Amino acid sequence: MRHLVGKRAFIVALFGALLLAPSVTNQYQTFVANLILLYIILSLGLNLLIGFAGQLALSNAAMYGIGAYGTGLMMAHFGFPYWAAAPCGALLAMGLGTLLALPALRLSGIYLALATLAFAQFTYWVMTHWTDVTFGAGGFVPPRIDFSPLPVNQEQGIYYLSWILALLLYVVARRAMESPVGRAFVAIRDGEVAAQSLGIDLLRYKSLAFAMSGFYAGVAGALYCGLLGFVGPESFDLLQMILHKGAVVLGGMGSVVGSVIGGTLLTVLVEITKEAKFSIEIAFGGLLVVFVLFQPSGLIVFIRKWLPGWDERLHYVPPGTAPPVQAARTAAAEGDD
Amino acid sequence: MEYFSYLMATGISTGALYALVALGIVVIYKSTQVVNFAHGEMFMLGGYLGYTFHVMLGWPYLLSFLLAVGAGFVLGLAVDRVAFRPLMQRQTMVSVLLAMIGLSFVLKGVARWLWGGKGDYLSFPPLVSPTPISFGGIMVMSQQLVVLGAACLVMAAFAVFFKFTRAGRFMQATADNPKAAKLVGLRTDRVYMYTFAVGSAVAAAAAVLMAPLTLLYPDIGFALFIKAFAAAVLGGLTSIPGAVVGGFLIGIIEQLAAGYIHSSLQEVAAFVVIMLVLTFIPTGLFGQRRLRKV
Repeated sequence: MRHLVGKRAFIVALFGALLLAPSVTNQYQTFVANLILLYIILSLGLNLLIGFAGQLALSNAAMYGIGAYGTGLMMAHFGFPYWAAAPCGALLAMGLGTLLALPALRLSGIYLALATLAFAQFTYWVMTHWTDVTFGAGGFVPPRIDFSPLPVNQEQGIYYLSWILALLLYVVARRAMESPVGRAFVAIRDGEVAAQSLGIDLLRYKSLAFAMSGFYAGVAGALYCGLLGFVGPESFDLLQMILHKGAVVLGGMGSVVGSVIGGTLLTVLVEITKEAKFSIEIAFGGLLVVFVLFQPSGLIVFIRKWLPGWDERLHYVPPGTAPPVQAARTAAAEGDD
Repeated sequence: MEYFSYLMATGISTGALYALVALGIVVIYKSTQVVNFAHGEMFMLGGYLGYTFHVMLGWPYLLSFLLAVGAGFVLGLAVDRVAFRPLMQRQTMVSVLLAMIGLSFVLKGVARWLWGGKGDYLSFPPLVSPTPISFGGIMVMSQQLVVLGAACLVMAAFAVFFKFTRAGRFMQATADNPKAAKLVGLRTDRVYMYTFAVGSAVAAAAAVLMAPLTLLYPDIGFALFIKAFAAAVLGGLTSIPGAVVGGFLIGIIEQLAAGYIHSSLQEVAAFVVIMLVLTFIPTGLFGQRRLRKV
């Protein structure tokens, strides 16, 4: 029973369904399934930073955009093939993400949130105004991607690449968060001075959290560039920021598998509400408020309550909402995952 | 020289409005330790309500102004009730901020839904004739003078309220030391509530003053919020005079950057100021040194 309804069974079922999806769905549904994979990667990356390391950065959409622009521009300006351009884009996002860790060493809470928000808006401005390089507000169409030795076209190629990367990055995130790295992140989240006194190097782990999160967003951006076959600044605006936050909060802050759930549900909800910009804004703004107010640990809490086998070694317990005994018991009770 | 004085005049009059919005941010931050992320939306909705009263219903400007300020006050109460009070007990900055970000998007969506037309841009009729007047060789738009004067009046009214009324003194006491304020019998919950309300009312006032100079669109709230936050950070985030000085400085900086370097820099000057100030002088020009908490 535990194995049939547990976390691993869910992941296997979800990724199994997503693997088979292109052969039974139409073009639009495949596109949405691919977006699901991208949002899983995005919310995993953001959750590492916000949910685990406790750094409220608002720059994830910018990293996503930097990944997409980095990839697309490498292809458009230098004629790089996709397999070389995509890592460049992802590493560029990772590098800039790591640089953001420098102010994060001095700032916390609101100051960090607003400094990263200013960075995100600055990135958006550069995308719109540095016309010589980024082709300005109209965006640009990178060259078609050739997966030639493999018998797939661009859509199929990107889809399966996204599938592989999403699964891989999920496993990496889960493993990393169960390792000493995850414990160091959580220690920093729960108290920086206390973490330092335990011998945790703040510079090292904060930079690592920002670098990982930037890399995840950059990978998603590189895939997005291939998926859409078009890169434009409006894909990476403030709305994108709230979507990423929504995915993390919906699934559950500080829960790796929660991010998979959050990313999946969010994409479906966006497809339902995307008729008008205001409906997305109201739906996701409202969702964020309702979840933060009434269920700050996200949907994962309900699942943990009703189904066995969903415990995670480290998860987010908002202060004052769960007695410490329960948290300790949860930690002790986990055996298999 | 004429060009410079023109830029300065524009910078000072828009700076006065940034100062008003920054004032609200600082007042709320000082007493609650929270930056009201939905503050820009208070501004935006104030502007739209002013538009509704003045242009759509045809009521006189002054009446519309007062009604919009009243509505801003009520909106501030709502922000406190929805995003601040329920989360204050949990003492987590991240959840308060996330709730405020969520709320600001809801308000923006509502404005886009109610007032958003095809292009989303609404124009407000000018208050006075658009002919510029000359001040010892310096040409100034009379509209700007009116706005500057009115903004200074609002600031003065706020200063009087903050310094001399009971409510204002309660706010000062709570900002100074919330525990002590509670001990001497102040109902700090209420003080927080009307701190949000007063801050929002000032933002709504700024919006109705600014509306004739610019266009109204649902995203203006965020644009103004970032500029006002830049002003607040430059002034130190805990200093009310700092916010006012910061507002004028941001207004002037962005005009000079736009006029002498490149026009597109007007939008980005505020972001650059925020990043530089937070990285190099986090306490701003007038801020208190923050204590490190364990």
